[in-house]
Amino acid sequence: MEAGVSTHAQALITAWVLVAVAFIALGIVVYVAVRSRTRRVDLEGVVSAFRSLDIEAFRNLVDSAEEAFLRKNLSPRQFREIKRQRAWSALLYAWEAGRASTTLAKVGQAAQRSSDPKIAASGVQLAENAFQLRLQTVRVSLHLLIEILLPGLQSRSLPPFADQYERAAETLFSLGRFSSEVQGSVRPKSA
Amino acid sequence: MLFLWITPHVLLVAVAAVVWKRRLYREFPCFFAFVLFEIAEFILLFALYFVPGAGRQYAYAFSVTLLLSLALRFGVIHEVSRNSFRESPFLKASARRLLQCVGGLLLAMGILLAVYAPGSNAVRWHAGVSVVNRGAVMVQCGLLLSLLLFSRFLGLSWRRPAFGIALGLGILTSVDLAASALRAEFASNAAQELLNLLITGASLVCVSIWFGYLLAPELKPVSVAVVPHEEVETWKREFQHMLRH
Repeated sequence: MEAGVSTHAQALITAWVLVAVAFIALGIVVYVAVRSRTRRVDLEGVVSAFRSLDIEAFRNLVDSAEEAFLRKNLSPRQFREIKRQRAWSALLYAWEAGRASTTLAKVGQAAQRSSDPKIAASGVQLAENAFQLRLQTVRVSLHLLIEILLPGLQSRSLPPFADQYERAAETLFSLGRFSSEVQGSVRPKSA
Repeated sequence: MLFLWITPHVLLVAVAAVVWKRRLYREFPCFFAFVLFEIAEFILLFALYFVPGAGRQYAYAFSVTLLLSLALRFGVIHEVSRNSFRESPFLKASARRLLQCVGGLLLAMGILLAVYAPGSNAVRWHAGVSVVNRGAVMVQCGLLLSLLLFSRFLGLSWRRPAFGIALGLGILTSVDLAASALRAEFASNAAQELLNLLITGASLVCVSIWFGYLLAPELKPVSVAVVPHEEVETWKREFQHMLRH
């Protein structure tokens, strides 16, 4: 009898949990729909975001030779503290690069629809690089999070995030060059 | 109640007409098949509903068409995801992997739920159909949510019809998930009536979204020379500066 009541209660809890999950899902779907109504991509924002990221500084923060030097010359406690701070700073870089790459992808996709074949081709390349960069930033962020949580661990080499970042920037530059040749550029739109 | 049952299907006829007129069935054949199937299903069930003594036939027809509809919805989700990522070979591969992982995980959860929380509906086959429906809509809802969030995370611009289809189906499956979870536990007539009302209401919202998005014109290709030349020069300077570092 008691077992029956307990099973019924469990089933009811499962049902209500699913209802809660369903309504959270509904909320997210509506949120995505409302947010995607934004039409204009803030190009100035992309430029300033890319400008603000000093990729050399990021490279220094995750440099394994520098880490080895610090490990050798600092006490274990100091080393862990410094490494945590370095990893945290690098994580902020990766986070900002990820945000910039999302806008970059929008610029690339807008350029893709251009009637000028040069701009369209450049847009394809830009969007592709931006998507790759976005996923790289996720991998790098996970990697850096592990370093923040376990600073004593020997660092493994990071995914080639900085190179990907430079590739994306170069494509953006070439898109700007093509646009400049036709005395204009693109004003991106999204769905 | 009848109004909420009939209206979405009348709108579905309009959706089918728009899909046909704009030749969207070439891009979304599964969605077109789904819309036609839903209309045919409605005609069959509506006719059976008013035939005296056909309660059993109605229940069987409802279950069979529900399972077919669920299968077609999976096809629509696949079609929408393929359409969204078609311009990027890199994303096509990444999205396929992500959706396979999410789908596998949700399927396992659905099976576990079916085993450990099979519901308390008195009619065995009806309970079975409810549990299958609950598992399937859970997977569908998760897939659509992953698709929308993944696209948003990457900054992917959707084409209007694909976005509208995904949005409508997302709303329908999430409400369907809540209703099917409750349907498996509450078998009273009053509860079933209330849940039917919820589902038909969600269907009306979903079909209205499809109609609106499919009818809306596609965004025009982006034209050049709409941004001042100086702005492009500013870009150039900024990126040259950045690349020098």
